[in-house]
Amino acid sequence: MSGDGGSGSGSSSSSSSSPSSGDGSGDGGWRERGGATLDRLVDASAAERVAISLASLVFALVVGAVLVFVSGFVAECSSPFIYLPGLGYGCYNPLEMYWTILEGAFGSFTDLGQTLLQTTLLLFTGLSVAVAFRAGLFNIGTQGQMVLGALATAMTVLTVGEFVPDTLVGSLVVIPIGIVVGGFVGGVWGMIPGLMKAYANAHEVITTIMLNFVAAGVAYWLVQVHIGDLASDSVQTEPIPGVARLPASIDGSRFSLIALVGALAIAVGIALLYSRTVIGYDLRTSGIQEAAAEYGGVDAKRNVVTSMTLSGVLGGIAGAIYVTMVQYRWQAGIPPLGFDGIAVSILAGNNPIGVIPAALLFGTLKTGSVAVDLSLGIPNELVEVLRGLIILFIAMPEFFRLLGKHYGFGSEPVATDGGERR
Amino acid sequence: MSAPTVTRRQGLAIGAGLLGVLALGLVVDGGRQFVGEIADVVSISYLGSALRFTVPIAFAAMGGIFAEKSGVINIGLEGLLIVGAFSSIATMYALGSDSVPIEPNPWLALLGAILASTLIALLFAIVCIEFKADQIIAGLAVWLIALGAAPFLSVVIWDRRSSPGNVGTFSSISIPGLSSLPGVGQIFEFSPQVLLLLVAVPVSWYLLNRTTFGMWLEASGEDPKSLDTAGVDVRKVRYAGVLLSGVYCGIGGAGWALNVGQFTGTGDTMIDGRGWIGLTAYLIGNYNPVGAFLASFLFAALDALQIELQQIAAYDLSSTLVGIIPYVAVLVVLTFVGRTRMPSAAGEHYDSDE
Repeated sequence: MSGDGGSGSGSSSSSSSSPSSGDGSGDGGWRERGGATLDRLVDASAAERVAISLASLVFALVVGAVLVFVSGFVAECSSPFIYLPGLGYGCYNPLEMYWTILEGAFGSFTDLGQTLLQTTLLLFTGLSVAVAFRAGLFNIGTQGQMVLGALATAMTVLTVGEFVPDTLVGSLVVIPIGIVVGGFVGGVWGMIPGLMKAYANAHEVITTIMLNFVAAGVAYWLVQVHIGDLASDSVQTEPIPGVARLPASIDGSRFSLIALVGALAIAVGIALLYSRTVIGYDLRTSGIQEAAAEYGGVDAKRNVVTSMTLSGVLGGIAGAIYVTMVQYRWQAGIPPLGFDGIAVSILAGNNPIGVIPAALLFGTLKTGSVAVDLSLGIPNELVEVLRGLIILFIAMPEFFRLLGKHYGFGSEPVATDGGERR
Repeated sequence: MSAPTVTRRQGLAIGAGLLGVLALGLVVDGGRQFVGEIADVVSISYLGSALRFTVPIAFAAMGGIFAEKSGVINIGLEGLLIVGAFSSIATMYALGSDSVPIEPNPWLALLGAILASTLIALLFAIVCIEFKADQIIAGLAVWLIALGAAPFLSVVIWDRRSSPGNVGTFSSISIPGLSSLPGVGQIFEFSPQVLLLLVAVPVSWYLLNRTTFGMWLEASGEDPKSLDTAGVDVRKVRYAGVLLSGVYCGIGGAGWALNVGQFTGTGDTMIDGRGWIGLTAYLIGNYNPVGAFLASFLFAALDALQIELQQIAAYDLSSTLVGIIPYVAVLVVLTFVGRTRMPSAAGEHYDSDE
């Protein structure tokens, strides 16, 4: 791949927009990176974006299959499915694996419920990441916002739950309060990197990741030493009362249709906010073109803070839903839904409506991978690898452009060097 | 061309950060006792463990410098450290350390880690340089892939997310004669990875500031066009920068894992954010290996301190709360330092037109 393209160069140019970070601001340079990405994503037509997302998905699944196939030769099993001379026995059949994922995710009503449960959570975290991304900000901190939001919700419903009647009316009071508090705490946690970005020029990728570690540590400490179930060996709170639990819609699963409908409504609401309102337009432009936004009379700094806060609110609500629908308590070891949200959002091209199918896909993978682990013995950590691979492929639309050109698609003729270079 | 190690502003910021953290410690866990305990802890053995804690952070930081100087922002350092840590232990395990510890094994494990980490760095370089991927997103992908792949392979090999027991560690090197001196003898007993670090820092500085290669790197990140005009292949220089970050992270990850002889793949894995701290360390150190080393040492010393304090049984200090101090310190420092002068073409793709 790395031919000697650079050597025969006469004139040359930098392909990116402008080398204008000469103001000596490092994070300014990073911000422009984000801006350029956003420009590119916005410039690409909707059809192109869908095509790139689908192609990335296919490639990630293929690479995942190869990884599984190869690691099957390292693993030990009683009944290997293939023997290759020189390599030995292979334990894992990738095709069988993907089939099992589908079967495990949709095979029964219970499975479907589990899949929709995961989808609902991923909708919230995916939207959280998408809201920041739309403003040209990378919020890697959804995980931390979720962890703290979840804890705040758990503590709130444990407290308020004592004072309400154990009826539907009680639920109508305690659950919304819990979700609001979860969203509030997540929002505050999201506001911190927003403020640091706007006023101290600290890059949000680093600050949000650091805040993830801090959030996990603080929550663990609070629960372990102060507010948890101190009688228990596990680091966890008391279980939340029944009145604070979202009613299950499908037998055998804790999935609640109410949460899913709420998530879908929020997705549509955010899409409308961005496409139909002035506020949405300001939020988008101030991230992408800070100077232009300022010129147009928009307070870009404030909008950075607003976007990160809104993103944090959604992360916090994800935590609230996790507590009231899934775990029924706060427990150490919250699954990495925030990181999955990054993949969901990027796969969706950061489009709030696109987040819906992307969340469903990841919900399917998550639920199906449990079946894969149980019946085929293939570690379900695989889903985390797929998550990274999807992000990686989407990061390089150029790869697909070159690939397409190599096979004769596109307007320009295939170059003589095999189409690897322009 | 060599920038000052740490500007005065940054020095002030680091000082303020340290004071802030100390103040936080006093407020949270109360009083003089804390200071007293710290005074007890700070000793030559503490210095040694702080240096061992510095290994992954400083190597990641120096690797990050080489990549970013060349114009490729590598935020996948954390992932590369995870790959290094995992593959060193996997190599160690494959070599069969269950038997009598064999002296060259840790070195072979280190080699395995460097190979694996450099291979991933090569992939990252191809993705960024050939396929013009967004470097931030691609770096994020490297981290997330490693975060999933290392535990995945760990389950495949060992049936659980962590390696079983101790598969072997580096044994420390001692300078004959000097190391048996009473009192200060410990100074002359080194873990090999610490020795590597203490050699790598000046070597990296020399490489960056006093060699043609260093000049190329600088130009590749600052003004690739003129480097191209001068007849140097910008892409090759950038590949070199990114591959070096892979080599450094391989050493860093392996150095950390071969310190405890085990890979832990639960939670955020045993690397636990050290790659990200390394990234911050070189920003604070202003892209200078010496500055990056000092900043790394600062964070590592805090980390080592909280481990030492935990071991004092009489003192009831919440380990998780002290555990977040390095991250809070990073945030404080980042808020005060904020702006650093980064290579002006970093993050941008470079095309040389035919």
